[in-house]
Amino acid sequence: MFDISLFVLMLLGALLALAVYLPLRAGQLSLATPGFYTIGGTVAALLSTTVPELGGNEQTYPLTSVFLELMLAIPLVALLAFLIGKPVLKLKGIYLAIATIALVEILRVVLLSSPWFGAAVGIFAIPQPFEGPEGYAAAFAVLLGITAWGCQRLETEPLGREMAAIRNDELAARCMGVNSERVKLIAFVLSAIIAAAAGVLAAHFFNSWSARQASFDASITTLAFVVLGGSRTWLGPVIGGLVLTALPELLRPIGDLRLIVFGLVILLGPIFIPQGLIQQKRS
Amino acid sequence: MPLAMPAAKVLRVSPKWLLLLGLLASCSSTNSNAPVNLNAGLPVGAVLSLTGNANVYGQDQRLGLELAQAAFKPGSSMPLNLIIEDGGSDEAGAINAFNLLINQGTTALIGPTLSQQAFAASPIAQRRGVPVLAPSNTATGIPEIGSFISRVSAQSSVIAPLSINKVMQLDPAIKRVAVFYANDDAYSTSETTIFQKAIKAKGLNTVTVQRTQLNDQDFLNQITSALRAKPDLVVLSLQAVDGGNLIRQLRELGFKGKIVVGNGMNTPNIYPICQRFCDGILIAQAYSPELKTKENQAFVATHKAQQGGRVPAQLTAQAYTAYQVIAEAAQRLNKREPLKGMPLRQARLLLNKEILSGTYNTPLGKISFSRDGEVKQESFYVAEVQMNPDGQTGRFALLK
Repeated sequence: MFDISLFVLMLLGALLALAVYLPLRAGQLSLATPGFYTIGGTVAALLSTTVPELGGNEQTYPLTSVFLELMLAIPLVALLAFLIGKPVLKLKGIYLAIATIALVEILRVVLLSSPWFGAAVGIFAIPQPFEGPEGYAAAFAVLLGITAWGCQRLETEPLGREMAAIRNDELAARCMGVNSERVKLIAFVLSAIIAAAAGVLAAHFFNSWSARQASFDASITTLAFVVLGGSRTWLGPVIGGLVLTALPELLRPIGDLRLIVFGLVILLGPIFIPQGLIQQKRS
Repeated sequence: MPLAMPAAKVLRVSPKWLLLLGLLASCSSTNSNAPVNLNAGLPVGAVLSLTGNANVYGQDQRLGLELAQAAFKPGSSMPLNLIIEDGGSDEAGAINAFNLLINQGTTALIGPTLSQQAFAASPIAQRRGVPVLAPSNTATGIPEIGSFISRVSAQSSVIAPLSINKVMQLDPAIKRVAVFYANDDAYSTSETTIFQKAIKAKGLNTVTVQRTQLNDQDFLNQITSALRAKPDLVVLSLQAVDGGNLIRQLRELGFKGKIVVGNGMNTPNIYPICQRFCDGILIAQAYSPELKTKENQAFVATHKAQQGGRVPAQLTAQAYTAYQVIAEAAQRLNKREPLKGMPLRQARLLLNKEILSGTYNTPLGKISFSRDGEVKQESFYVAEVQMNPDGQTGRFALLK
């Protein structure tokens, strides 16, 4: 049995996977995605529960207010990502991964220790812009569509080619005149924007939001989406996000074994298809 | 190797995938005008945290439901067909399990385990007109989610202050209180606010509030700074493992005063953790295994028989109670208006009304529901832990 709510979660998975994919496209392993996702969600949760003017007179929460939340969350996160990215992106490889994990952890602790953000209990009763999951599915699909379109454009745009060049060999790319610092920073900021936008919608969908969204587990799960789907084209992470979000649900008929099988898939996937489900043809 | 993949290639693949996903998404949901499927009994779902960090609660609850299944099946005219699904320990897991069970045509749901999951998943059931009876959600605002949402678990703001009142009766000289809670745990942070309010209302002086983390093992820093403030009473809102360890270290470092703990330590699982140091801690309970009613004694006896002499935990009793409430409501409803052939939507609506209108003699004592679905429970209990000389076993002795 397939459900629209699960479809919404799958689309969310695909969006987060794209957010991990973008820095990876420029050869940067950043695990900060859940952090920016959490900031986006927190902005939406705070605005929609504390500013009564946004609520409007209708029974459902107005879409224009959701749009306004997006317009506030995106510049905020972009600015943060810019300020953080500047120093952090000087790190390479595993050191960058560790630094970004630390970022998420710092954010989690900040959210937990400030009652203003709902502390450990979180923020509840976030108003609903849609009657049912269908509306959310449409909203997430639009967001995913725009993101995927942007990623597709990158394949042919100079920026995308510069990112690919850095991934293949940063030194060589720099010698060819690619400003690698700038390109990496753009990838990082774009990734943060995608995650934050997904967070804004997710906060409404989940109806409650707390610091537990920013966990180390979430970093690893989103990374697994990209690893299983493949990190060479944007379609890989999308498929990875969709499949890995749906898989534990589709495996429900096998009962308690389902998470073991799920774990096996994550374990065996990279062994047997190291390039991921969607591979790039050599030409 | 080319730097970029040819655009046409990607674009050719993606519509197919999107179409497939669209097809998958469209084959959802059941027809709620179709009659209830009574082949295996009245379908009732349960969403428990069997995996993730709340899994210990889910296991206790599963045990309660299984005991109830055995107790209420024989000879009943409308047996329940209980379907247990794992809701994980997060919001997404609970949402998925709720949708799955609702689509399978269940007439009522028991769960989810955590209050945060309820805030995310219960609105779905409310929208689709499916009664939800929560066995363990103690946060404020759960029944207020909607007319289909009710609970058998009394909220912590009612229970927690009772133990403060009791400890003041036992030792009126208490003046200075030290409070501990885990600031990364939702239960802990919400309960400590209630405790701190109750402490203030009693005119006591909170000399220190110490924060810990759920996964902490060593509390030396927090304890020494708390002891410097010379408290007469320590109030903990912690889970079984961290709370048990903290009590042990607190006693080892020389604290002699009274200790009051919250609902998170309301389980016999604490005995092996704080061992002989558990002795004397006070706790307010929504369920006492020592309650002398026919229903409770029968429940405790079957639990003991199956669990090698262990007495039931509160979560087990509450899950048992949730099942009992639905089973009894279904019997009454079926007698008055036979459920056979009734449209699913109507069956859910009538069952919800029936649940809320009844009075039930359960292991928790006599319970009923307020109009919005909050449990009305006759009695709550304050117990004192008494450890046996072996330091491994003990009991929650009811204080009169």
